[in-house]
Amino acid sequence: MTYDFTSCFEALSGVVHQVNSEEAAAQKIYEICQQQQVSCLALANLPEAFIQQIENYCGGLKILKEPYPSESLPLAMDEAGIGVTGIEFAIAQSGTMVEVSDNDAVRLVSSLPRTHIGIIYKKDIIDTYFESGSRIREIISRHDRNVVISFISGPSRTGDIELKLTLGVHGPEEAHAVIIEDH
Amino acid sequence: MASDRYKHLYEKITEALSDTKKKELLLSCVKRGRDTRAARLETLPGGAAFRSDVRAAKERCIEDLPRLKKLFIENARKRGVSVFEAKNGAEVISYCLDLARKHGARTIGKSKSLTTEVIELNHPLTEAGLNVVETDLGELIIQLVDEKPFHLVFPAVHKMAPEVAKLFSDLTGKEVADDIPSIMKVVREYMRPIFLNCDIGMTGANIGIAETGGICIETNEGNARLVSSIGKCHICVVGMEKIVETVDDALLMIMAHPVSASGQLPTTYVTWMHGRSELGESGADSERESHIIILDNGRTEMRDDPEMREALYCIRCGACMNICPTYGVVGGHTFGHIYPGPMGICWTAGVHGLETAGDFAQLCVSCGLCKEICPAKINMPHMIAEIKHRDAKTKGHLLVNRVMMGADKAAKLGSATAPLANAALKSRPVRNIMEKLIGLSAERKLPPFAATTFMQHFAKRTPTVKDPIKKVAFFVDVYANYNDPKLGLAAVAALEEHGCEVIVPDQDVSGYPSIAYGGMDQARKIARSNVEKLTPWVKKGYGVVAIEPTATYALAVSYPTLLRDNPDARLLADNTHELFEYLIALEDETGQKPNSALLAGKRFGFHCACHQRPLGSGNGAMAWVRRLGADIELIETGTCCGMGGTFGLKAGILGHELSSAIGEPLFKLFKESGVDAVVTESSVCSIQLAEGTRLPVYHPLQLLDLH
Repeated sequence: MTYDFTSCFEALSGVVHQVNSEEAAAQKIYEICQQQQVSCLALANLPEAFIQQIENYCGGLKILKEPYPSESLPLAMDEAGIGVTGIEFAIAQSGTMVEVSDNDAVRLVSSLPRTHIGIIYKKDIIDTYFESGSRIREIISRHDRNVVISFISGPSRTGDIELKLTLGVHGPEEAHAVIIEDH
Repeated sequence: MASDRYKHLYEKITEALSDTKKKELLLSCVKRGRDTRAARLETLPGGAAFRSDVRAAKERCIEDLPRLKKLFIENARKRGVSVFEAKNGAEVISYCLDLARKHGARTIGKSKSLTTEVIELNHPLTEAGLNVVETDLGELIIQLVDEKPFHLVFPAVHKMAPEVAKLFSDLTGKEVADDIPSIMKVVREYMRPIFLNCDIGMTGANIGIAETGGICIETNEGNARLVSSIGKCHICVVGMEKIVETVDDALLMIMAHPVSASGQLPTTYVTWMHGRSELGESGADSERESHIIILDNGRTEMRDDPEMREALYCIRCGACMNICPTYGVVGGHTFGHIYPGPMGICWTAGVHGLETAGDFAQLCVSCGLCKEICPAKINMPHMIAEIKHRDAKTKGHLLVNRVMMGADKAAKLGSATAPLANAALKSRPVRNIMEKLIGLSAERKLPPFAATTFMQHFAKRTPTVKDPIKKVAFFVDVYANYNDPKLGLAAVAALEEHGCEVIVPDQDVSGYPSIAYGGMDQARKIARSNVEKLTPWVKKGYGVVAIEPTATYALAVSYPTLLRDNPDARLLADNTHELFEYLIALEDETGQKPNSALLAGKRFGFHCACHQRPLGSGNGAMAWVRRLGADIELIETGTCCGMGGTFGLKAGILGHELSSAIGEPLFKLFKESGVDAVVTESSVCSIQLAEGTRLPVYHPLQLLDLH
């Protein structure tokens, strides 16, 4: 690998956590909830077993998860202080988490809450930006109707007032990447 | 009179120059754009090489556009998207109104889209009772004050925090502190219900991908993610030129756009939308709609016009704004109709017509820097020259521009009548009259004419070189011929010293002023004549060496575009060299060492003329001076010194005054650098730098006489 995802994502004001297992990742999510005094957490795009571990750790918190009933969206999601989504793959060179969804509820989980946490398995980190082409084409062809691929490289930012970098104007003010080493 | 037409433009420039605060913000904005781009290029593998890839991809996709558009439409429809091809803005407007009625929509959340700005979509929607809200912060501010974008990437860069705080205070009825974090908090709270409740989400698209039928939307704020996921109906308005062939093309554009705009790789969010997804589990067929409106609005005509086709290569990064010298001091409200800056001239001509573009095209000084920074290498200087030319066909040229286009004839006359002409140039009353009559600034100190021209001197020489190692056809242009023949002779001597046979074939002036002011018939005539006169020598093995940067640029860069179908123009261009690049290569080849003690202890600041940027960037001249023992460093702001060829010689606001305002930051750098003198190869930049820095200014060859 020529590039280091962690330093590239952090250069974009992102926060990276390296953990050894899904259980440790669940624990890290709980810690972040505690630090931010969040009472409601939204999940999407995650494997069932991992969701259970998060539920085990975050017992006292309100957890929103799929399937999301369409009638209550998007308002219900606005309650969540933290959104956790599974990341299909990440690009080290550009510090990018690539989220794939065929339901827009997933996009709300990663864009409405004040904090977004992306879950990345270490094996899914690719080195260079242009290597992503074949994976993107593969994802698109796998979905012959609808699919949205979202590149997420750090928190929501703007420089629109006096060119001063400000985070979290519409989307998340904090973007975390939890990298699970062993899977 | 042609000058009456620009009264409004002059007023706007004057106003822009007098607003110090706004000017400072704009300068720091464009400078930051240049600096962050440059910093990214340092670490990007291949540096600026991606520009060739973007160019090639755009050439291919625009050439193949009819097929790609069809393929894009087919693939998008397969994914359940409704695609509408709109001929013009009016069709977009009525399509959107119909959709809004059908959905009983009240609120439309919009994510930044220049394409909808250009067709002024918001106004008729609002008229119809819809609440149209821009969600990009900069665009929202612009919408609230009812202005047009000041800069493409930073549309509200001219608004200070207190002004913005007041806006949101008025809007929300709450007290808003004027620090940025407080404003952001209010913006987030104010916008949230709009996002959550918008009925229709409207976005542009940076890219359409033919092979997949998908679109890509780039933002930093994440607003497009929200408006494209929440509303029942998503409308995407995309210019047809945004369609590329493959996913890899899309990745290239997604990289090139933010790298060129702000050094980012990529923007914080890139949304690749393929079809419309459900929102949550409805259990029934989703009623969520997706509409893509592909807009023509003059693009087909641009594509069919060989001189304007390149406008369709634009990826809207705003880099040309960040480097354009005049835009950098006057901003988008003066330099633009809706789409601002250099590309704005081309785009305005294609979409709003020649006359509207012509109203501000005079702000282009033809320095050519926009082409050098453009990720698609769009030849904006040529397109703008063509626009000025077409516009002048009906509206006429400004008198002063006609004078500048004929400056070589004046120089010829000045040289023939040298003592008298020089006395006149020095006489203030005469100069005042000239300013009044022909618009030449009386304040500019002009170089005197030489009674004997370079050509006349050269004709009297006997060639000294036997068994030459290289054969050179020397191109002299105006200044070294009529004003400073000594300089031309020194160049010839330097070439001969290295064993070159130097001839001065029959030649015309370079004619660049005709390009700069849009006298394209004359420019083509001159180019053709020079190609006819010089190419036979190239075919005999002569290399063309030119002494004036702008002349070199004309031969090496401009002529092949002016004379598109003439292969000899390309041949001449490929065999044209800058004097010092040529001399340095000769030194390396012959192993002849210059006297490295000649300028020991001297410190110079080098000024690179804009027209050298695509050539050697002055590296040859700097290396040449270094080998003579001097210290020399490039001193630059990254844009033009403001002279813009003969632009700064013109009197008044659209000339000397604007030219000085552009030069200020560069003058300051030179004055603070502590160098002994300025060195530049350009005869016109030297006038500007002498006036602005008050330092001695030398051509590199003049340094030989300094010791």
